Order: sequence, then C-alpha cells, then structure tokens
Amino acid sequence: MKKISIPKEVCQELERVAKENKVYLEGNILKVIEAPSYPEFSSYISLAKDNDTKNRKKRLEVTKQVQEQNKALTKSHEENEQLMEDLKVALDKAESAKKSIAEQNEQLTQKQVENEQLMEDLKVALENAENAKKSAENDLDVMQKRTQFELIGNIVNYALYVIVGTGIITTALYIMAMIKGSPETTLIGNTWSNLFGILLTNSFSIIGTIMGVKYASKDESKTEK
Amino acid sequence: MINSILLVDDENLFHLVFEDACSLLDITLTLEAVSSADEAEKMFKEWMENPDGKPEVAFVDLNIIGSTFDGIELIRRINFQYGNGVVIGIISSSSDQMEISRAVQSGAQFWIVKSDDIEPRLEEFKEDYPQYKDRTAPFKVYK
Repeated sequence: MKKISIPKEVCQELERVAKENKVYLEGNILKVIEAPSYPEFSSYISLAKDNDTKNRKKRLEVTKQVQEQNKALTKSHEENEQLMEDLKVALDKAESAKKSIAEQNEQLTQKQVENEQLMEDLKVALENAENAKKSAENDLDVMQKRTQFELIGNIVNYALYVIVGTGIITTALYIMAMIKGSPETTLIGNTWSNLFGILLTNSFSIIGTIMGVKYASKDESKTEK
Repeated sequence: MINSILLVDDENLFHLVFEDACSLLDITLTLEAVSSADEAEKMFKEWMENPDGKPEVAFVDLNIIGSTFDGIELIRRINFQYGNGVVIGIISSSSDQMEISRAVQSGAQFWIVKSDDIEPRLEEFKEDYPQYKDRTAPFKVYK
C-alpha cells in the first residue's frame, strides 16, 4: 500500500499536541503515514505505536475478561432457561395431576352420592322387606290359627254327631226294650240314664268349645279386616 | 501484511478481540466485521459486480446465530457462486471432525479453533498466509 506523506509543519503540530496534551495518533493510520521531509517524526510514530499497542493490549485483556464473564452469564442463562423449562414441565405435570385428582374427586363424590342414594333405597327396601316379613308372618299365623280352629271345629262337630248318634241309638234301644217288655229294661234304663247324663255333660262341654272356637274365628276375621 | 480481512461472527465481543489481536500482531491493515452470514453473502454478491473493498481474507464462524445458513454453507456459496478470489476459512470453537470434512468439501482453506488465547494461532496463520494466497498450502487446522 502506498504510504501517506505528511508535511513537516503537520508533524511539528502533532508533536506539540502530544507534548502539551499527551494526545497521540492511534490505530492503523500509524502504519500508513511517513514524513520524509522530517526524519525526527519517526520517534513520534514509534511512541504513538507503543501507546496504541499498550492501549490495545489493555483493551484486549478487558474484552477477553468480559467475553469470559459473558460466556459464564450465557451458560448461566442457558441453565436458567433449562431450569425454567424443567419447572414449566413439572408445573404442567402438577397441573395435569391436579386436574386428574379433581376429576377423580368429582367422580368419587358422584359415586358417594350414588352410594348414599343406593343406601337410602336399600334402607327403604329393607324396611319394605321387614314389613313384608311381618305381614307374611302374621298371615302365616292367622292361617295356622284358622287351620287349627277349623280342625278343632271339625273334630267337635264329628264328636257331637257321635254323641247325638249314640244318644239316639241308646234311646231307641231303651224304647224298644220298654215296648217289648224286656227283663233288662231297668238295667237298660239305668244305663241310658247314666249315659244320657254323660252325653249331656259332654254335649255342653262340646257346645262350649264350639262357641269358643266360633268366637275366636270371629275375632281373627275382624283383625284381618 | 494482509490488506483487509472480513470477519463473519455473531459474537460482537469476539469482533473486538479479533480486531485487537490482528492489530497487535500486525496481521492486517483494515478489518471489517459482520454478524450474519446473510449480510456477508449480500456483500460478496455486490463484490461480484464491483470488487472495490473486497477483502483478501475471510474468517467465517461455523454456527452464526441469526443467520439462515451456517458458515460452511457461506464458504460454499462464496467459492462456487460468488467467484471466490479470497483466502477463506472457518474460525470456530468447535473442532468436530465431521464439520471439518464438510468445510474441506466446501472449499475452506483452513480451520482455526477459537479459544481464549487466539493470538498464537493467528500468528501461525500469518506465517502461512502467502501460501494460502498462492493456493499452494494444504488445508490446515490450527488447534
């Protein structure tokens, strides 16, 4: 590259500024200027280059330090971002789990309500069954009593028929003995008398039983109604 | 000394480091730095018509955040679409062998591993530069 030639006056002016204010040319311009008419200017250029090198070295060190810090910060930032991402994923999972739990809770609550309803229905059904059982037991009891009473009634009726039949037959035998004048008439008469007494006693007893049975049957039918 | 260098890197702080390192090592007279591959591509497109201001060397980062393509693709486009004419290579903190192979295929001439102490590698590159300019130097990785 062709260099730039600086006149002597400019060189001297630059030297004055450097001496008074310590201000020097810097950067790549120093690599392309020359002052053939003023050889002493080479010391100025040399000093300016030294200053420039010193400043650049300092700046390079600082920049490298900043670069290092920046790398650490970038790494830290990336780690933070990763943490945030992980946290977000964990939060999403927690939120999802929370929703799932809430849904399950809702389902459980619904099931509980249904169970309570079922329990209520079961209770009612149990009460109905209890009532039905009681009613069935009552019906069975009534049936059994009625059957018993009917049986007793039948027995009493047949017994009455037997007694009345026996009475009629014995009376007929006594009458026949009296008509025929049998020598056994007195004996038959006494026997008839005793038998008739017994029959009457038994008859009253049986009639009493019949009345009792009928009375009881009436009471049962009233209860059924 | 190299007349002009183009640095394509998304990290602005590295622009300063690279500029100061180049200046201290007397590598280049002028340095231009851009932050995206798209911007660099646009510049090379314009230099096809008017080569004024075209750099002699281009240092391209591998992964350039905020760009639509990576550094290797930029090198491929510069070499095969925009007429080449520059010494070009990758400057990256990565030293992945697969990426290095890709870079070779795209026409990169060197691979400089970016680290805190970049100056020794740049100094080595400065020594090799004339051969890169002549296209006589083989591909080299500066570790």
